[in-house]
Amino acid sequence: MYIGLDVGGTYTDAVLLEKGQVRAWAKVPTRQDLLTSLLEAFDKIMAGAHADLIERVVLSTTVITNLIAEKKYDPVGLILIPGPGLDHSHYRYDTETCILGGAIDYRGREIVPLDSGEIDGALARMTSLNYKKVAVVGKFSSRNNKHEQEVFKRIRQSGLDWQVELGHRVAGQLNFPRRVMSTLLTCATREKYQFFADSVLAALDKRGIRCPVYILKADGGTMPLHKSLDSPVETIFSGPAASILGVQALIPPGETAVVVDIGGTTSDLALILSGQPLLSSKGANIDGKMTHVRALAVKSVPVGGDSVVEQVGKEIILLSERMGPPYCMGGPMPTPTDALKVLGLTRLGDLGRAKEAMRMLGRPLGMQTWEVAARIMLLVTGAITSEINKMFMSWEQEPAYRVWEVLQKRKDRPNTVVGVGGAASGFLTQIAATLNCYPVIPPYARVANAVGAAVARPTLQVSLRADTEQGTYSIQEEGFQGPIEDRPFNEEKALELARYWLGKRAEKYGLKDDLGEVEVIRKEVFNMVRDWVTRGKLIDVAVQTRRGILHYIGSGVERDEK
Amino acid sequence: MRSKPTGVIFFPAFDWAISPTHPEREERLLYTRDQIFEEGLLDLPEIEEYPPKLATIHDIARVHFCVPRVQSQVTEAHMIAAGAALSLGDSIIKGEIKNGFAMVRPPGHHAMRVVHGNRGFCNINNEAVLVEYLRRRYGIKRVAIVDSDVHHGDGTQEIFYHDPNVLFISFHQDGRTIYPGSGFTHELGGPGAYARTLNIPLPPGMTDRTFHYVVDNLVLPVIRDFQPDFIINSAGQDNHYTDPLGSMRFTAHGYAEFTRKLNPHMAVLEGGYAIETALPYVNMSILMALAGINFSNVREADLDTAGFRESDDRFAQVQKMVEELLAIWERRDRVDIEKIFGTGKFYQRKKFIYYDTDYIEEEQFEKVRVCGSCPGYLVIESRANRGFGEPARVLAISIPIDACQNCQTEAYACYEQGMVDRKQYNFIMLQDKSTDTCLSCDREKKQEWKSEGPKPGV
Ligand SMILES: [Zn+2]
Ligand SMILES: [Zn+2]
Repeated sequence: MYIGLDVGGTYTDAVLLEKGQVRAWAKVPTRQDLLTSLLEAFDKIMAGAHADLIERVVLSTTVITNLIAEKKYDPVGLILIPGPGLDHSHYRYDTETCILGGAIDYRGREIVPLDSGEIDGALARMTSLNYKKVAVVGKFSSRNNKHEQEVFKRIRQSGLDWQVELGHRVAGQLNFPRRVMSTLLTCATREKYQFFADSVLAALDKRGIRCPVYILKADGGTMPLHKSLDSPVETIFSGPAASILGVQALIPPGETAVVVDIGGTTSDLALILSGQPLLSSKGANIDGKMTHVRALAVKSVPVGGDSVVEQVGKEIILLSERMGPPYCMGGPMPTPTDALKVLGLTRLGDLGRAKEAMRMLGRPLGMQTWEVAARIMLLVTGAITSEINKMFMSWEQEPAYRVWEVLQKRKDRPNTVVGVGGAASGFLTQIAATLNCYPVIPPYARVANAVGAAVARPTLQVSLRADTEQGTYSIQEEGFQGPIEDRPFNEEKALELARYWLGKRAEKYGLKDDLGEVEVIRKEVFNMVRDWVTRGKLIDVAVQTRRGILHYIGSGVERDEK
Repeated sequence: MRSKPTGVIFFPAFDWAISPTHPEREERLLYTRDQIFEEGLLDLPEIEEYPPKLATIHDIARVHFCVPRVQSQVTEAHMIAAGAALSLGDSIIKGEIKNGFAMVRPPGHHAMRVVHGNRGFCNINNEAVLVEYLRRRYGIKRVAIVDSDVHHGDGTQEIFYHDPNVLFISFHQDGRTIYPGSGFTHELGGPGAYARTLNIPLPPGMTDRTFHYVVDNLVLPVIRDFQPDFIINSAGQDNHYTDPLGSMRFTAHGYAEFTRKLNPHMAVLEGGYAIETALPYVNMSILMALAGINFSNVREADLDTAGFRESDDRFAQVQKMVEELLAIWERRDRVDIEKIFGTGKFYQRKKFIYYDTDYIEEEQFEKVRVCGSCPGYLVIESRANRGFGEPARVLAISIPIDACQNCQTEAYACYEQGMVDRKQYNFIMLQDKSTDTCLSCDREKKQEWKSEGPKPGV
């Protein structure tokens, strides 16, 4: 049996899955004392089930997201080595930022060495300001981490016991500003995250659950909880990822669907294309800054069941803020939920007050209550459907750098709109009708996130880049760089080496048995030609364990994709 | 105005090459990609990345007489590179972006009106395709093209040689020392477009000082005078001091400063083959300059301008040339055209064109109708020797967008006449820019094709 657990800001949801069926589920408030909420949820779903029968537990959480949003973390000092390029005034963060001279180029060649006096100056400054957490990030550090390592060595030689995070270990992809953010947030959240993980482990231990425990990442894959301490930021946005996977598990395989999660003030939208959730082409945007966190594409629209509706001049308009509960539930202002009530689309609230809310809006315009309600319905569905269309357009419009990519036109349109979350059901039919789709509210929609966590699979990736002219290769995810030993090196050997590293990584994460089929997700080979002679090759390959989920729920079919 | 972003289409064509070791190969923009991605430039609010789209066959046929057909001269990569320029053009006219950079390959500025094959790494002239598209679709009238490639933009020059509404300025390394061997000061445009072509051949070894002397004292004043509706920069980067084909000594900073001063609506990447030492830095700084981002911290890895001494004699020579050209520009509407070009109904010239990549020798006889009411139509008789088989003989007629009724009638009569004595030609083609119609006839296949562009406003 599998347990899926979603620790949200307001509720903690849990489900118990047995052979692809939901055996029990629970929804309990998330309390200050995390342990109590977790135990409460466990006890509800475990009634009558023996702890020994639990094979695995998967968590998803917004704890880290909330920490960041509320800035509840210790200050992190930044030591950056940006070298030439954008003016250094671009690297302004609301924390102490020391910029060191020194530069590495795109092939990892050292252009300007570091100055040890400058390093010491930066360390003295951080010490004087009492920083205990420091992130060190260099431009092109994923091509050569020498400078970051030098700074790290100097920190330790100076006897400083800071928590230090190095950019190349956190994010190996190109994009220095995103690497800075990812490294900064990793540094900031590690300790708090440890506390979260400890609470979870303690709760499980109290109930005698001793199976492997995983946590969901923003990209919809899982990793063992104890290993996630290496990269807590990967778990940011695992909340939305959980609902999307939940929907994936609750609809027929291979479907193209839109997931609409309408909450109080925002609606989260996501796409499942031919059965596979869409990954964001850029890294996750956290607190207004781009990062390297691989995440499912989620679009938040500032519209929800509690959004304020106002009459301005001859118009009825939808505002993005919330002033309290809907009018029909004793709130101060008319909301979309009141419109739903008038249209008979929700059981919540008081009909008399809902009508009154519509009347308040409609009176100056000479509109009937039902007319007002219908207008609000249109406003909400219009705002949501236009964002859905934009999501499809931007997916079709993603940049392409190869001829075949441009020629292979991407076009896919949904046939289903799936609603999850509190207010979704009332608006769903209208949204689906506008998009010419079928509306679906799957069973267990209220705990879709916990279901999603329960069915998520481990994912691991390895990206290898080899420069045969320089005779070196690097593994992005491991922050490793070393010499190419097996010469002459070629594409096949690169793939073989990448697979070897993937296996090694799987072992490290205790996932050796879960490795399953390995997919090649990138394969680029460039001949380096100088003076009409081929001097070497640049080989860039990436492999990953297959994405997917363990079960489709309700079909009764266990889809073991191993 | 300033709040709008700069649009960029980055199309490195990582799966396209002329041949595996050719300078125009997959690797060319690889390090540029690395640099731009690592800088995170595309995440900045000042820059918006657009996906490339394909130009249509008709977009190409509006400019080029491809022999035998457009499809036989272009690959998809060409359609994408040209399409990128069109797509950015759309976004500029629609007001979504303030300017754009088509950072694309393959390049195009050596491609002439008649295309028998590849010359100077080019088949299709991306800028010319853009100009005709903008004029046709949006009614843009006056366009200025400034070519900053080390090689003379002979293709662009040839296409607009008789067009008074397109100002073409090219500064480049002296044609006596580099491909394609043209671009001298006496090449000033045809009788209907005198001084609308200006060439500034520079002695090898000149630096940013000369570059900016020419820009400040000739390029900018002439453009100010001409008052174009749209400015295009053919942004070749082989004037860079590390370029393996050119012998100039311009820097990335010099290019950026030039871009800032020219403030073009669009920059289109042309040549530049120092793929590691120049392109990452030059492309980045051009993009930053267009977007109004401070580029003072962009610096080549090995930059040491202290070693860049240019000869004072040569600099004085450039100064003199700039003065002469400026004088020609200022007198352009007062000169006695007949005295320069002769009298008669037609002005005609013979041209010999060599396609270095495809080893084709083309002989051309070009006639332009000298007309008081319009720029006049063009008649080209072209004969191309590939060194094997029969030469391809083509009759090509081009009617300008603002052609007068008389010229249009005469041009069609000329096409009809070509069909009557078609034995002389393998292919007879006509492009009527005034109605956006292209005709082409293949004698052996006994077939005629006609294509029409979308109706304006569609
Ligand atoms: Zn060139
Ligand atoms: Zn005329």
